[in-house]
Amino acid sequence: MSENAESPTETQKGDVTTPQQTTEESGTADEKKKIDVLLKAVGDTPIMKTKKWSVEKGRTVQSLSQFIARFLKMEPNEQLFIYVNQSFSPSPDQEVGVLFECFGSDGKLVLHYCKSQAWG
Amino acid sequence: MEEEEEAVPVRTLLANRHISPEMSSCFLDEEKFRQCCQLFLEHSDSLSDGWRWESVKDSHEGYLRKTALGTSRRRSNPDQISEREQQQTSSDPHQEKTSLSLQNNNDGIDDGALCCLREGSSGVVIQYEYHILYSNSYQTPVLYFRASTLDGKSLSLEDVWDSVHSNYRQRLQNGPWDTITQQEHPLLGQSFFVLHPCRTEEFMRPVMQAALEADRQVNYVVTWLSVVGPVVGLDVPLSYCTQVPAVPHCTFNSLHPAAVETSPD
Repeated sequence: MSENAESPTETQKGDVTTPQQTTEESGTADEKKKIDVLLKAVGDTPIMKTKKWSVEKGRTVQSLSQFIARFLKMEPNEQLFIYVNQSFSPSPDQEVGVLFECFGSDGKLVLHYCKSQAWG
Repeated sequence: MEEEEEAVPVRTLLANRHISPEMSSCFLDEEKFRQCCQLFLEHSDSLSDGWRWESVKDSHEGYLRKTALGTSRRRSNPDQISEREQQQTSSDPHQEKTSLSLQNNNDGIDDGALCCLREGSSGVVIQYEYHILYSNSYQTPVLYFRASTLDGKSLSLEDVWDSVHSNYRQRLQNGPWDTITQQEHPLLGQSFFVLHPCRTEEFMRPVMQAALEADRQVNYVVTWLSVVGPVVGLDVPLSYCTQVPAVPHCTFNSLHPAAVETSPD
């Protein structure tokens, strides 16, 4: 998973990319296909060093969830929960672009995430 | 008035709404459950989403019920899944729709729905029947479901575990028995699969606490279903999350029932 180089103290905007994507276009056409996501930790869940991410609109919640889980080095017995508006969980198959259209504000989609060993 | 360990807004909230402080955090009482269900049903009707309230004869008890069709999602190779997801673009023709709402008023199977299942979706057509019940012991909703092929062959528990959404499979494989089991339906006495409610409070807590802090309300059933539904192929359209009203007084303090002292009103 390619990431921008980050300094340990700053919060920078990162790119959520797939391993197959080796070149990162910075043209305006590509920019319109991405939305800004702000990730916020809930409770005791570790805070991601980089909170702001630029994500392809077509990316699913599941894909983003997997990315966060890898970033947090989660164990197989842990489950990540994602919340929109801190009021519901989006379906894992939902595209982030759709969520952004419905729930984005100030040009970004805020998602809360929570790590748990719970299930049920 | 006893000094309680709560933020001022919470106390005001409770006082204004005459909620007893004994009400526990992130739990739901049966009356609130029914109110949430009622509002949920109204929205379902507006979408023809197929949910119905079923009452138990000679009882005030009942549950929400819906049938839906899906295709079996047998996944034998986890690597195949991650590869597919990595290639995902905004319109992935290979993405399977795991469940389909039946648009009917008769609770029968709508043959028209069958042709809406995507081309290229492999696997057998499965009929799901979902029930949302209230659990007194956990004070949460619980999702029961049945699944069978159209010729009436029930899925086994292993089949069901295999068909859990890939987003949750790894966690399920780590502890399938505390996730989905087979139990007797509390009201019907028949064998159903059940998504175990023992940890519902944990994934509901962030939502309930946020609502409490913002002096906002939620519809507990909608939020809960948005989390558990997709695990077992039950689609919850986004409009539920924006359109269904919250239930008044459906907010809770952050104290565990065991820790709360009764206070004079």
